[in-house]
Parts: sequence; C-alpha cells; structure tokens
Amino acid sequence: MTDMRCGYAGDRDETLIAYLYDDIDPPARAAFDAHLAGCEPCRTELEALGGVRTTLARWNPPEPKSLAAATPHSAVRTPQWWRDIPAWAQVAAALLFLGVSAGIANLDVRYDNNGLAIRTGWSKPAAQSAAAPAAAGPIGVASPSGVGQGFSPASKADLVALEQQLRTEFRSSAAAPALAATRPAASDAEILRKVRALIDDTERRQQRELALRLAQAITDMNAQRQADLRRIDLSLDGVQNKVGVAVMKTTQSLNSLNYLVRTNQRQ
Amino acid sequence: MTWTDEELVARSISGDAESFNELILRWERPIYALAYRTIGREEDARDVCQETFLRAFRALPGFRGQAKFSSWLYRIALNLCRDWLRRERRAPVVQAPEDVDLMELAAAAEPSESIEDLVARKDLSRAVERAMALLPEEQRTAIVLKEYHGLTFQEIADLIGCPLSTVKTRLYQGLTVLRRELAKNAAGPKGPALQR
Repeated sequence: MTDMRCGYAGDRDETLIAYLYDDIDPPARAAFDAHLAGCEPCRTELEALGGVRTTLARWNPPEPKSLAAATPHSAVRTPQWWRDIPAWAQVAAALLFLGVSAGIANLDVRYDNNGLAIRTGWSKPAAQSAAAPAAAGPIGVASPSGVGQGFSPASKADLVALEQQLRTEFRSSAAAPALAATRPAASDAEILRKVRALIDDTERRQQRELALRLAQAITDMNAQRQADLRRIDLSLDGVQNKVGVAVMKTTQSLNSLNYLVRTNQRQ
Repeated sequence: MTWTDEELVARSISGDAESFNELILRWERPIYALAYRTIGREEDARDVCQETFLRAFRALPGFRGQAKFSSWLYRIALNLCRDWLRRERRAPVVQAPEDVDLMELAAAAEPSESIEDLVARKDLSRAVERAMALLPEEQRTAIVLKEYHGLTFQEIADLIGCPLSTVKTRLYQGLTVLRRELAKNAAGPKGPALQR
C-alpha cells in the first residue's frame, strides 16, 4: 500500500497509522513531522485517512431496545430463580404443599360453637378429648369475617412457652431411663399414662407449629398480593406513558411528512 | 464512592452480586457497541452482549487480574463474535432499510436538527456500516477496537494475539479500503450493494 513516490526510510504505512492515531513515540513523531513537511503524497493520504476517521465517528449503533433487560442480571439472580415464577403458580405450589402436609399430618379442622379447632396426628379423637382442653383445645378462635383472620398470631411468649415445654420434655425423657432402672416394677397403667401425655404434648407442638406456618403463609400471600397489585399499577402507568409517547411520535412524524410534502410541492 | 473495575471484580468474587451488576451497567453499552459493529445485527449483538456477561460471571472466580477487566471482557465478546461469524459463515449483515422510516427518523431527531440533516446523517451512518461490512474480520476488529474503544495498539495486539506491527498494518489496510468505499458511496446515490 505504500505510495511508491514516497521515499520514507522506515515502515511508512505503520508510522502513518501511528501518527494518525497519535499513538507514536515522540522521536518517531518528530521524524515523521519532518518527513511530512516535504512529502505531498503522505500529507494527502494522512488528510484523507483523517477524513475517514471523521466519517467513522458518525456511525453509531442503533439504540438497543431493551439492553438492560437483556443483560444477564439473571446470572446474578440465579439463586432467586423462583422470583420469575408467576405469583399464582407460587400460591398454587404453596397450597399444594399445605395440602400434602395436611394429609400426612392427618389434619382435622373443626369449626363449631367453640370456635375453630385444628388437630393433627393419627390418634383417635376420643383419646384427644381426654386431654386438657385448655392446652389441646383450639389454637385460635374464628371471627365472623373468616378463618384467615381468626388465627391469633403466635407471639414471642408462645414461642418461649414452646421452648420451655420442649426443654421439660427433654429433661423428662433423659430422666426416664434412670426412673425405669430404679423402679422396674412400674405399672402398665402408669406407662400408658406417660405415653399418652407424650403423645398429647407432641400433638400440641404440631398444632402450634401448623398454626405458625398457616399464619406465615397467609402473611406471605397477602404481601405477594400487595406486590402484584403494585406491579400491575406500575405496568398500567408504563402502558399509559408508552401510548403518550407513541401519540407524540405519530404527531411528530405527521409533521415531518407534511414538511416533506410541502418541500416537494415547492420543488 | 466509585469503585474501580478491579475492586468490583474482587467484591463480586467474594459474593457481592450488586458489584457484578455495577460492572454490567458500566460495560454493557461498550460491549453491545463492539458486538454490533463487529457482526452488524442488533438482535445478535444483544445476544452476544448477554452471553459475554454470563460467561464473565461464570468465569469470574478464575479471573486473576493478569489483564484489565475490560480487556478480559472484550476478549470474551470478540471470541463470541468470531464464533457467530463462523457459525453464520458470512460477512456482517447490514440492516439498512431501503426507504427512510419517518416514524423512526422523527423519534431520532435532535431538537435542533432539520429533517434534511437527519436524513443525511442516517445515510452517512448506513454508508459506513456497509463499507465496514466489506472488510475482512481482522481489519474490522482492529478498526472497531481502535476507533470506537480507544485501545492502544499494544492493547489490541494483546487482545487479539498478534504482533504490534500486524495491528498497524491491518488498520492501515482497513482504513484504505474504507476510504475507497466511502468515496464510491459519495459518488453514487446508493453506494455499494449490501452484502448478504
């Protein structure tokens, strides 16, 4: 590509490019400056390539339509894949999970004059009724407005009580072998009573846990519903804005068209 | 406080997802522009841009900072562009509509720009795009990296793995072809035919 009329001693093309982009050592620049002063072809080519650079600067890629959406925030969000699942599907999955859990736990829900009663476990109701009603009774009282609002939310005191209960149970279960060793002749009735008490305790714990989970699920569903409503509001706002922009662009393009028509008519 | 790329990389490696998001926001447009100017298709350039960041994210734990983060990102993007060009087995496609889209033009107009200026600007941009599409891939890449991303000759040489003198030669040859093609375009009403 070297112009044969140019008598530059070094690699003229490479030096020309380095000079053009100002990515050249000062001594080499000075030497090429001196060469340019007496070389018309190099000056012409340098000017022409500078013009090409000016033209290249006019080339801009089109604005991407939704580059932000295309970028892989999903890569970062990978652990939160469930956020992409529709809310209704999440609710359905939660309900399915609750249904299966209830089936496994043999959930027994009753609503009568005493309020809402929820029982779990495979023991017979007759045996359960023998337990202390204050402890094994309803975990919440239904209000006329609905079951969801009828649950009294588990307080910190409930959790503390549950913890105390579990500690007591652990202590008693640890002491049980020692008692058995010192009193091997304990009657069957006493053993049966203890087993029944343990079963009752277990049932109470399950009931409390289930109540907690139900309350949590209801809270989550409400929060999700609120979030969905907010998202719908935002989407509607976005649609309204887009419609406004589209109308504006249409008006603008009609004006442009009119201008072109008028220009053509004048010509 | 503004973090450097290297600091954001270190924080991303230690599990801070927001830092990687910041890197994406910082580099998504340059990477998209590089991909677009290399392969010439908006949709595919977006895909390449997305894939670049996905690969970077996956490979981040292995990034040891031997090169600048931007150079590393450019290398991933260029490899993806090269794969795309090989897969498509053709030169970059120029997405140039035959007729001027008034709607699009009106939306793109600068506030003080007349419709004639706007049409001329669009025409010139398309002429450059067509001329660039005629260049061999290695010349086009060198021009894009130098002209639009401001890399030094040495950085380009490191990035594409060739001697410094080769980079300058490719730039010289590419610019010379562009000079000829743009001159042809200025002489004719439609310029060179699209290469498909």
